[in-house]
Amino acid sequence: MVVSNKIHSFIILIIIWQAFSVLIHSDTLPTPLEVMYSIHYHIFEDELLYHLGITLYRVAITFAVAMCIGVLFGILMGNYKKIDSNLDFFLIIGLNMPALVTIILCYVWFGLTDFSAILAVVLNKVPTVIVTIREGAKAINVKYMQIAKVYKLSPYTTFTKIYLPQMYPYIMASARTGLSLIWKIVLVVELLGRSSGVGFQLSMFFQFFDITSILAYSFAFISVVLLIENYILAPMEKKATLWRENA
Amino acid sequence: MLDIKVKSKSFNNKEILNNINIDIKDGEFVSLVGPSGCGKTTLLGLISRLDEEFSGEILFNDKRIDFEIGYMFQDSRLLPWLTVRENLLLVLKDKSKEHLVEELLKEVELEEYINAYIKELSGGMQRRIALCRAFINQSEIILLDEPFISLDHPSAQELRAIFMKFYKKYKPTVVLVTHDLTEAISLSNRILFFSSKPTKIVSTYINKKDFSSNLYDEGIDIVKKDILEKNPNILSGDLS
Repeated sequence: MVVSNKIHSFIILIIIWQAFSVLIHSDTLPTPLEVMYSIHYHIFEDELLYHLGITLYRVAITFAVAMCIGVLFGILMGNYKKIDSNLDFFLIIGLNMPALVTIILCYVWFGLTDFSAILAVVLNKVPTVIVTIREGAKAINVKYMQIAKVYKLSPYTTFTKIYLPQMYPYIMASARTGLSLIWKIVLVVELLGRSSGVGFQLSMFFQFFDITSILAYSFAFISVVLLIENYILAPMEKKATLWRENA
Repeated sequence: MLDIKVKSKSFNNKEILNNINIDIKDGEFVSLVGPSGCGKTTLLGLISRLDEEFSGEILFNDKRIDFEIGYMFQDSRLLPWLTVRENLLLVLKDKSKEHLVEELLKEVELEEYINAYIKELSGGMQRRIALCRAFINQSEIILLDEPFISLDHPSAQELRAIFMKFYKKYKPTVVLVTHDLTEAISLSNRILFFSSKPTKIVSTYINKKDFSSNLYDEGIDIVKKDILEKNPNILSGDLS
């Protein structure tokens, strides 16, 4: 039912798009068919897959690093008031720092390199992960932790079997919102200072006012992110929260 | 021998327990009865090492730390993200004894729910699983914090019967916290009556081992006459 609704929405979007593009008849709004041909061209006769690969690589690295750092500091800040009060100031700065400022500063300080690009995205994402994970850590049910203490479970077992399952909804929430935020920032980072990746290609097409290619690259990239979301993240979340549904 | 010596235990600079000394013989079933807030659950917390901030010492056969404990809380406290089997395996010390999971479940007639999640079980079933968890390591000490509370009467009676079956089979030392005097008299060898402000043991009732109905009624009469009349603040509510 949900899938068929999504398909219906998609078909309606294509129809509206087609109608507008025919009505306007302008280079600024190509038809869906033209965009599809463009995707085909860029995949088989150009370098879409290469640039897509580069961008996905950057997204994957920054996602992994941001999640690791964010989860670690989120747990520490959620569990230790002293650490929380000391780092809260920096967290607020991080949350309110415009992404563009971080990107420019990283490029200026560390040069136009992949390291700077990844660092800039990580710095943008980490605060939002920390905020979500910190809330999760504060919501840990002490009663379940008492089971670990009474039965003298090892720290590893306590963490993996009692602590982590309680954190899982928060980790998944920050992972899913994280992915959508990260790939957007990665494109900006590539646009501003890299010579490869989808963001770089979009800036090139923008200079040539090639709207069809811009839409082709955008759709190709959005499709990949949707596949990751639907076939990796969503099933992972469903599996981990299966116990909630079996009531 | 479980040797409990609590010189002092405080919360927020307020003393909860003061000078509590209890010796419990191996295999003895002791109930702690007293008004709410007198520190009975706190005392269980000290025995189980959930709370280690107190002055005094709790020894089991002269050992301070390494004794195994089974604990039944007021709620079942089973982990909802694990199945029944995983809940029991989680606390099982000797992993070569996995067969105990099925054996215990069979004894409480829940073997068909071995792969069920906790939400799929009724409250009474959950308590039976919690009971299995308390006994799975065949611990020498079992602590019970009002484990039969908030169950309907038949379910509570059934759980008590299962508990006594396990108790007779494994013969652990048991400490039960309860507000239910009839429960304490019908189950335990000895009842310690606590009073609060300050918390102290005001009286002890030694139960006769043979729980025939006459002796049970006699026990109720003795407790009513000798203990409750002299210490009216021990228990709120009627003794049924």
